[in-house]
Amino acid sequence: MTQRISKYQRFKMMNPVIQFFKFIYLSIKIMIVVAGGHGGTRKVN
Amino acid sequence: MSKIVILGAGISGHVAATNLRRKLSKQHEVVVVSPNSNYQWVPSNIWVGIGRMKSEKILFPLAPLYKKKGIGFKQAKAISFHPEGDTTEPKPYVLSEYVAGNNKGQQEKITYDYLINATGPKLNFEATEGLIPGENKTYSVCTYTHADHAWHGLIDVIQQMKKGKKAKILIGTGHAKSTCQGAAFEYILNVENELRRHKVRDMAEVTWISNEYQLGDFGMDGMLMSYGSMTMKSHEMIEMIFEDRDIKWILGAGVNKIEDGVAHYENLEGEHKSETYDFAMLIPSFSGHGFKAYDKNDNDITEKLFRGFMVVDADYTPKPYEEWSVRDWPETYQNPSYNNIFAPGIAFAPPHSISKPRKSKNGTDITPAPPRTGMPSGITAKLVADNIIDTIKGGKESLHHKGSMGNMGAACIASAGYGLTKGSGVSITTYPIVPDYEKYPKTQGRQLGKTFGEIGLAGHWLKLALHHAFIYKAKMKPFWWLIPE
Repeated sequence: MTQRISKYQRFKMMNPVIQFFKFIYLSIKIMIVVAGGHGGTRKVN
Repeated sequence: MSKIVILGAGISGHVAATNLRRKLSKQHEVVVVSPNSNYQWVPSNIWVGIGRMKSEKILFPLAPLYKKKGIGFKQAKAISFHPEGDTTEPKPYVLSEYVAGNNKGQQEKITYDYLINATGPKLNFEATEGLIPGENKTYSVCTYTHADHAWHGLIDVIQQMKKGKKAKILIGTGHAKSTCQGAAFEYILNVENELRRHKVRDMAEVTWISNEYQLGDFGMDGMLMSYGSMTMKSHEMIEMIFEDRDIKWILGAGVNKIEDGVAHYENLEGEHKSETYDFAMLIPSFSGHGFKAYDKNDNDITEKLFRGFMVVDADYTPKPYEEWSVRDWPETYQNPSYNNIFAPGIAFAPPHSISKPRKSKNGTDITPAPPRTGMPSGITAKLVADNIIDTIKGGKESLHHKGSMGNMGAACIASAGYGLTKGSGVSITTYPIVPDYEKYPKTQGRQLGKTFGEIGLAGHWLKLALHHAFIYKAKMKPFWWLIPE
């Protein structure tokens, strides 16, 4: 096994307090991307 | 009065039916035709496949809901399409056969004014010799019954490992042109996490096998993404996760034959190799259902409606990868020959793959097919429903609602382990799904700020929140329509 994720990184990834705020942040960011609309790609003459 | 028939009650069909019913008055008829009696929230099959969620938690029966909401429901399978009717039936219809109840085995010409083909894919296990869920130690998580079987297979292997037997676990794609790598990716991380939870991780060799050219391709040609304060390629991120979890990988592999505990594959070098295993979960290729279509004189017009999947407003002109354009992808999912037929979700024929096509040295195509599951299925179904609603209400054809996968974002919240405090998730959001190299030439066709990845416990919570939110929405509980697709 190669440890590619440091202990500090892992702490941040699994800390419930940090992750609670990350959850709020991610929910909003994802909502903006996916619910932010969609449309066509072809130009209408 | 208009009659809208929807074939299929998966994510796409159900989204179309519920939106049509909500926005159209009761004088218009909405009818769902599906061989399945239950709605299932497919993304949570992963947790059924590791025994952390009962399949009853991800499904509910359709008939009572549809009865309550005024949506017609026929538990039947489509057999053939007759978009001009025939010599005895002037209206267009779909010939269907009931699969349950008192009418079982009976056929009916189900007429329509508008048809939404949301039949999704056929899970084409037959395309790979010996790939049969529950046989040859291979399993699938594509349906809740498959996922249940997979869990029984996995726990057997875990019990053997607890008794001291070393085991090899193989997870990935079971065909050279499979799609849905994301589901297999979620499953391998969840299985690896469960092995640690059962304290048998050191007894198992876990291997990823895939038709992808690089890790993190996901059938979308990979992506350049923001990760924290860095910008990295998706293959770098997935390599980091796999190495950290001691998961080995085999890439560019077109699995072509399964024997008891052995997967045979051809790689891009043209070598024929095999990999042994004690437990495997391999995603099959997806195909169309092989429907036939006939005109009013009973002449075969299948090519007008189908090229495997349903023909829609895409540009199907064959051209090399270098000439592919985001504009090749459909916007309205309307059939060009019959403007009252639509095919959202997985049912539409994509113009080509998204990933760069590759052949082995023997000429075998080993390229992931383009994914259209989950979020794009819901979004395209809703826009098709909205166009039909506008057309009915306005009295003339309206195709105002558009949603090309080249101008649509998607979030892949991949569970990486179940548990309220010990769980994890890999959240990857991409915009657009199909890269637009003209608009974003320097960032591999995607917008960096909107294409990002995150790893951590929050991802698991997010996936769990989505599970509950989308089942709430599918059950049409109060204000369900406020939840976006």
